[in-house]
Amino acid sequence: MKLYCLSGHPTLPCNVLKFKSTTIMLDCGLDTTAALYFLPLPLVHSPRLSKLPGWVSKDGAVNLEKELKECSGRVFVDSQPEFCLPEKELLDLSTIDVILISNYHCMMALPYITEHTGFTGTVYATEPTLQIGRLLMEELVTFMERVPKAQAATCWKNKEIQRLLPGPLKDAVDVWSWRKCYSVQEVNSALSKVQLVGYSQKELFGAVQVTPLSSGYSLGSSNWIIQSHYEKVSYVSGSSLLTTHPQPMEQSSLKNSDVLILTGLTQIPTANPDGMLGEFCSNLAMTIRAGGNVLVPCYSSGVIYDLLECLYQFMDSANLGSTPFYFISPVANSSLEFSQIFAEWLCQNKQSKVYLPEPPFPHAELIQTNKLKHYPSIHGDFSSEFRQPCVVFTGHPSLRFGDVVHFMELWGKSSLNTIIFTEPDFSYLDALAPYQPLAMKCVYCPIDTRLNFHQVSKLLKDIQPLHVVCPEPYTQPPPAQPHRSDLMLELQPPPMAYRRCSVLGLPFRRRYERIHLLPELARSLVPSEIKAGVSVATVSAVLQSKDNKHVLQPVPKPAPVPPSKKRKRVTEEPPEVLNPKPLLSGAVPLEPFLAMLHKNGITEVKVEETADGHILHLQTEDVLIQLEEDATHIICDNNEPLRKPGSELLCG
Amino acid sequence: MDSDCLSLLPAVCLVLADPKQSPPDDTSLEKLLDWFKELHSQSDGQVLLQHQPCLLEFISSVCMSKTTDPAILSFTLKLTGLLAATTQELHLFDEGGLLVNVFEREAWGVCDLWEDASVRSGWLQGLLNMLKHQQALGFICGNGLIKVILQLQNDRSLFVACLANQLLVHILNFLTSPNMTNGSDVVGSSESSLRPDWVSASSEIMNAVVEALSSEDHPQVLQGLRLLSLVLSKCGEPIISTLWKDVLVPLEVLVNRGSESLIQTLITVLEAALGTPLLSQSEYKVEELLEAMLGDGNRKECFHCAALIVKLEKCPEVLKRKATDIILLPLQCVSTQPQAEKEINVVLKEQLSQKASCISLLMQSLSSLAQLAHTKYLFEDISIHSITSSVLLLLRMCSGHCPTSLLHSNAFTHLIGCCKVQRCGLDTLGALSVYEEILDLRKDIFGVLLDYLQSPDSHATVLKKTFQAVKRWIVCSPFPDLLQFISHDLFPVLEKRMCDLRWEVRDSTLEFITQLTTALNGNSGFTEALHTSGMVSVLLSSLADAEGYVRASAVAAVGEAVTASSHQMVLVSNSKLLDEALVQMMAILSQDTEGFPRRAVVQAFTSWLKGSHLITALELSLSSVLSLGGSDFDWEVKMHTLELAEVLMEKTLTCCPYAVQNFGSSEETRFTQALIKFKNFGLFDLLFNSLFDCDRPVCEKACALLVKLRTLTAETADLDNSLLVLNVCGNRWGDEVQRRYLNKQQAKASVSVTNGVTGSDEGTDCGLHCTKDISLPKILQILDLDDMQRMLTLSSDHVVNSPRSLMEDILSAAQHSEENIVDCY
Repeated sequence: MKLYCLSGHPTLPCNVLKFKSTTIMLDCGLDTTAALYFLPLPLVHSPRLSKLPGWVSKDGAVNLEKELKECSGRVFVDSQPEFCLPEKELLDLSTIDVILISNYHCMMALPYITEHTGFTGTVYATEPTLQIGRLLMEELVTFMERVPKAQAATCWKNKEIQRLLPGPLKDAVDVWSWRKCYSVQEVNSALSKVQLVGYSQKELFGAVQVTPLSSGYSLGSSNWIIQSHYEKVSYVSGSSLLTTHPQPMEQSSLKNSDVLILTGLTQIPTANPDGMLGEFCSNLAMTIRAGGNVLVPCYSSGVIYDLLECLYQFMDSANLGSTPFYFISPVANSSLEFSQIFAEWLCQNKQSKVYLPEPPFPHAELIQTNKLKHYPSIHGDFSSEFRQPCVVFTGHPSLRFGDVVHFMELWGKSSLNTIIFTEPDFSYLDALAPYQPLAMKCVYCPIDTRLNFHQVSKLLKDIQPLHVVCPEPYTQPPPAQPHRSDLMLELQPPPMAYRRCSVLGLPFRRRYERIHLLPELARSLVPSEIKAGVSVATVSAVLQSKDNKHVLQPVPKPAPVPPSKKRKRVTEEPPEVLNPKPLLSGAVPLEPFLAMLHKNGITEVKVEETADGHILHLQTEDVLIQLEEDATHIICDNNEPLRKPGSELLCG
Repeated sequence: MDSDCLSLLPAVCLVLADPKQSPPDDTSLEKLLDWFKELHSQSDGQVLLQHQPCLLEFISSVCMSKTTDPAILSFTLKLTGLLAATTQELHLFDEGGLLVNVFEREAWGVCDLWEDASVRSGWLQGLLNMLKHQQALGFICGNGLIKVILQLQNDRSLFVACLANQLLVHILNFLTSPNMTNGSDVVGSSESSLRPDWVSASSEIMNAVVEALSSEDHPQVLQGLRLLSLVLSKCGEPIISTLWKDVLVPLEVLVNRGSESLIQTLITVLEAALGTPLLSQSEYKVEELLEAMLGDGNRKECFHCAALIVKLEKCPEVLKRKATDIILLPLQCVSTQPQAEKEINVVLKEQLSQKASCISLLMQSLSSLAQLAHTKYLFEDISIHSITSSVLLLLRMCSGHCPTSLLHSNAFTHLIGCCKVQRCGLDTLGALSVYEEILDLRKDIFGVLLDYLQSPDSHATVLKKTFQAVKRWIVCSPFPDLLQFISHDLFPVLEKRMCDLRWEVRDSTLEFITQLTTALNGNSGFTEALHTSGMVSVLLSSLADAEGYVRASAVAAVGEAVTASSHQMVLVSNSKLLDEALVQMMAILSQDTEGFPRRAVVQAFTSWLKGSHLITALELSLSSVLSLGGSDFDWEVKMHTLELAEVLMEKTLTCCPYAVQNFGSSEETRFTQALIKFKNFGLFDLLFNSLFDCDRPVCEKACALLVKLRTLTAETADLDNSLLVLNVCGNRWGDEVQRRYLNKQQAKASVSVTNGVTGSDEGTDCGLHCTKDISLPKILQILDLDDMQRMLTLSSDHVVNSPRSLMEDILSAAQHSEENIVDCY
């Protein structure tokens, strides 16, 4: 069993598990942080961005004026933002049988995998994952296509040139594997390969069974169990134990795993989501009270639902009930509506509302009372209805594309306004880099509801997997806080760490296979009881293995012998019931064996302990007997007369 | 009253002794006993038993009955003890041998009742009640009851065991009291002057203590120790030293054994010993024992012990130093860098590596330190500087900051985010503000405190403690950069905290601002900062908070801000603040659905009025406040309004600024003017309405104020009544005044008729008609304020709670139960 790690990003995983001749891809996350190296794509013409000077090396030797622009003391690529894809060279992606998706954030690279690689398999995902994943992909495509760039910058990627560039561009890795965003057609084609599954529903293919379990992180998010008759691998990705909108995490089914692949822990382990939510609200209230606007760059699904719910209560209590909220995204409407229709994927509290009947999320009321308004973009109705001070939720959290770019240009100059970062995926300082100098206040309240180290170590104590596999960063304290030994996984045995392009042999010993007996063969067995409840029978059969299934069939009968009287008589005799001949199984018990040797005149035996068992040296006979757990060897230098009695002794 | 009750007594006794009746509840029986106790104390030598033979019959029948209820038996035992508390009564009991029958359980109709804990407790209480004279002691010793009491000392019921201990101490005390020792010198007297059976009784008790302490049975040891500490604190010489000599050996054994579960009790014993003359005599080894309890600081229990010793009031200095050194060890150990490490205490290291013990040790360490700081203890071996640094480091560790190298990284992991240690540490840090030596650490201290205030993860209770610590450090000694710190560092954080999601945090922030404003009252820089930083507008917006408690705190904070401004005369430039505050506060008083904010508004007005500076703008709102507050639904708002009225009266009648200007006018005219002013404020309406309020405390307060007013009007001879006429029509109090007025007139008229007097001026003037306007002094006369005040001082249940009603209840309950039985069949 092998694990191929195509992404080193702990929360945007993409791993391939080869298990019992099936090839399973676990998630395909897209690392969008590469977009931070690019200039923002302004929705409205920005004189500031359009007049940026091009970059020329100090000695003038390298001139990339067209591709690179200097902005606020940094150099950015002036091209459509690109993303870092999962590794494609580590194994042939066309051999993948199935892709399991755990949540909508971890499927953004799907079109890159399913299209143009020869992929012919199936993608399994829950319905909310598919629908909201589709929204996020469509949003991404719209953001890119709305602001087309005539040319793609590629020269800067040249190794020789990149080496000469200023940081951080100089240090960007694998730039050649970065790719532009996919198209709507590719999204549709990729998503057409998705087969929907529900929680606890089992999908079988070959000898492996996969089961999605609720992971409590987002609508329809799941962990997966991949098991055969005798092996169980759990895949835990993006899970949460907090009481937010999704169905709570199912933990008990993860018990007794041979291997647990653990990804998607919180990215900000020192920030407690409750504290951050409080911080978010108080900063928001302070800004609005002072007459400023609040900009919240966020994804169009996920934490935004919880934020709106929290604000729904908070704004009235803070006496700011009249402040409007604007949610601007090409998919804002669908996102808000989808959240209300996936009732069975929500937490109990919200599910029960549906029977009242009431919308599960209070943002419906916010919309009804005109406190929350949503628009596909800043163009159109929004510009005429927009009222300040207000709170704007819009994407993309990288601040490189989407409507947020416009608000940064609009509000960045006033110190009354505040930008509050709630998504943990991007470094806020890097995100803000092309907007410097910035007068608006900046608050970083990353809300990451995924498991923290404390929760995960408690979880692992409960479910007791034999082995844990996790991304490398989880096995050491965060680089910025080397003393925080509580912010890493400390397990016994230590977890197996992976990084991008690792190939791990999973510590599995496949000991058993399930074999079916055909009924006619079973009928012919003559079991005899050797101890209470245990019967033994000898079998002579043919083993057939096909599609991971093993069947014992009766031995084909020899060609019929011409009937003779004598033969007939023999067959008519009742079958003789004999005690089965003792069969060899298990390890050889040392002490009784030594006693037996002694009884048979072999007295000079030197016993040596080895890692796997013992080596017996019969000194007079110059014979070595290796006793191991699953093998016994008699080494006697072709001394057949000695070997035979020896093996007879062994067989007792 | 008592004679009434006594007439009911025979019937009550019959009911109580009747086994067919279910006994009254315990409270009724206790109340009955209380009445007997009171009766007994007032009897002046009159013997109750002689006049009430039913009592003896009752007692004897209960004891003999085969079907007595345990509650009744217990009551009887206590009653017997009470009744036998004088020699004369004891003889009456003894005549028929009744006393022995009562306290000798073998003589009871049902011996098994002893199994009931309430009976055993009643038995002990009875003896305790009786033990007021020599004969009683003679009775106890003579009948071998000491043995039973000693057995009860180990009773499974804690109440019984505790009572037995009390009784034993009482007996010991009684044995050594002056009237028992034949008048000889008590302190120097030897036991030889006592009756021989009493000597044996006292030695029996003391031997039992020694035996208990030497026992292997843990509960027995505990009881022995409890009795010992009780003896030490309650008894005098020679009992104490005699007993101490005997118990010293087993006590030493117990101390050296160092059993965790005994520490608390052992310390109580030693603490009691510290308060006795035993301490000064070295042969009694009190100090030695305490020191042995501490050991070398290398036993698990020594920290607990040290924490207890640090708390002792009368503790020898040397011992206290040793205990202090030990209790500070965990704190120092956790916050020490490896290079500064002394010898590692193995036990301590182990304790710190486990979460539960690590936290409890550090909390003990911190709270002991706070305790020492309260007394401004002078540390010797270790500087207060380094102790404070340790506390600071610990607080930093709790919020996840860690020095580069640490001795106990395990402990660090336990501490991250631990609210208990944070709260305790902040309390201690606040307490350390008494040490002037560490003023140079102030920057670090405020740094840590600000971190806590800023941290999004700080728990609401932790924030509250942080506020307390900040206040202590700000108030302890104002420093040059104080205002800079407040306006640049503190106010922005407070502003954010006032927008916190948790109402508790918003509330404690506002409380903190109020306290800070009060504490820095008179500091013009602070007041200016408060206004220029925009804090005031944030405070004003908090008046509209969704949570009632927060609104109340906001009212208090705004009130204090206004007071501060008025003191600093900045109000002139900030009249907008006062106007806005007044508008919002009046809105709260008239519309707020919760009581707390409304109470706070009235209180704010009271404190403004109390202030030494005149706030003229207030005067316009006062009458509204009085009328709104007086008609509030909440009785506390009404009370506060009356307090406001009281302050208004005082200020107006005594001195400026509310005093009426006296343009050379006489005292009397000034008083009249003041009363006219009250009338215009609606003060009289408030007082009279409150006098007939449905809440007794409100009536009481209003009555007291009116009595004061009446006295003043009576003292002022030439009061111009015509100026002080009040309309008594159309309101409740007016109707009541009119009714009384008419009653008085009627009474007067009928008296006149019977006396044959006709047509006096007064009679014809008023007639028996309704009158609309009555002068204030007249009204005050009509209302019988003294009688009203007397009635109001009686508690509202004074009728229901009388012994008579109690007895009637018992009787009627019995009657009803009989009726019920009849009904059933």
